Amino acid sequence: MPEELQKDPLSRGQFLWMGALGTFVGAALTIPPAVYILDPAIKSVLQGRSDVPEEWKELGSVFDVPAGEAVTQLVEFTQKQTYDAGQPSADRTGTNVRPLTNAVLVSWKDGKLPSVLEGRSEEEPLTQTERNKLGRKINIMANACAHMGCPTRWSENEKEIVCPCHGGIYDINGEHTGGPPPHGLWRYAFRISEEGDIFVKHQFHVKHEPKASKPYVV
Amino acid sequence: MASLRARTRQMGRDLTDWMEERTGIVSVMQKFLYEPVPKRGKWLYTLGSATLFLIALQFLTGILLLFYYVPTADDAWDSIYYIMNDAYFGQYIRGIHFWSANALIIVIGLHMMRTFLSGSYKAPREMNWVVGVFLILIVTILAFSGYALRWDQEGFWAWEVGAKIASYTPFIGGWAITTLLGGDTAGPATLSRVFALHVWLLPAALAPLIGIHLYLLRKHGEYGAPFEYAERLSELRKQRHLREYEEAEEEDEQE
Repeated sequence: MPEELQKDPLSRGQFLWMGALGTFVGAALTIPPAVYILDPAIKSVLQGRSDVPEEWKELGSVFDVPAGEAVTQLVEFTQKQTYDAGQPSADRTGTNVRPLTNAVLVSWKDGKLPSVLEGRSEEEPLTQTERNKLGRKINIMANACAHMGCPTRWSENEKEIVCPCHGGIYDINGEHTGGPPPHGLWRYAFRISEEGDIFVKHQFHVKHEPKASKPYVV
Repeated sequence: MASLRARTRQMGRDLTDWMEERTGIVSVMQKFLYEPVPKRGKWLYTLGSATLFLIALQFLTGILLLFYYVPTADDAWDSIYYIMNDAYFGQYIRGIHFWSANALIIVIGLHMMRTFLSGSYKAPREMNWVVGVFLILIVTILAFSGYALRWDQEGFWAWEVGAKIASYTPFIGGWAITTLLGGDTAGPATLSRVFALHVWLLPAALAPLIGIHLYLLRKHGEYGAPFEYAERLSELRKQRHLREYEEAEEEDEQE
């Protein structure tokens, strides 16, 4: 049957040329579409680019963080996805840069109000040492569960952070205490100003897990 | 013990036979790949295949464009800007979509002209001509709606003008333009409609019609093929001979 189909017998040279040409044409047909589709992955994974520009956004004040619980505060980042080429030019107004709202869980370490803030008025500026101290005592965590990314929240009854999807449980410091999550909650890069305002960046790390990947969903 | 070469050859043969027996792939390929075309004007008979190839390109690159295109009035233009300036090979993919669409219209025109001039629309192939007319209509609307999807000044106003033309339809003008615009003004609803037409409705209508077009072509074969000529010509000659013979007889009788 194959011999019947093959009307002209090929020489070895012809066969090799056909192979080379086939490889070239095959590559020309498949590589561009594949790279085109993988564009976001290449930019994010290989080039480390993010949809969210690197900028500090105000979250709230350290004076508003209560003792004994983790409160949810909202922060708005800007998000530039495919609809924005990332280089707004003069004739492009940038109206398509849209807000990306993140819910941030904020708590004091072990729920205890730091001594720095006890009986302190908000008028008085914080010194560098005090700010460093506060920075070590505060937890600023993404509310996205480390398991599948569902939004977690503080449970007043259980005194822990719980996830509604698959029962992930974290303590007030965002450390994993139960359920399927592989590690604790992601933490934002943050700084505290002299006035006690917290600023966060859309950058994350996990305590004790230097290799944890990005949370992606927030 | 047979040589390695002989064994490999036998294995290939066995595999092909196995596939043929179960799927009929070899005979199907033969049936689809070989179609006799007339000796006269042979290259002109490739225009249909060229059309099919370009439409296949439209489908493939169109699917790829959908990975980035955002069909909303706010984002449509920006998403194309992204494809053209930022996405890897975006310019290349969209370039193929755009230029092959342009070429498609030209090639369809030539294909239609060849069909007309070679008389291929005549019996028993009339229905294939009719299907072809529907195909060219669909492709024209596809090209026009694709233009509007860019949502730039050109595309937007082209659709406006097209809708406005439709508004002059007697009796149903108002129905036509509000249906095309998705309201009595142009806006986000307009773009949604154009998107639905361009990406879903028209391609879905196009695909089965192409199937019918090809089926009918295969059913009747290319018109004007030498085999067909031969049969018809011999028939004509026979008739002429008969006529001449009868005329000669009549003349003989009159003398």
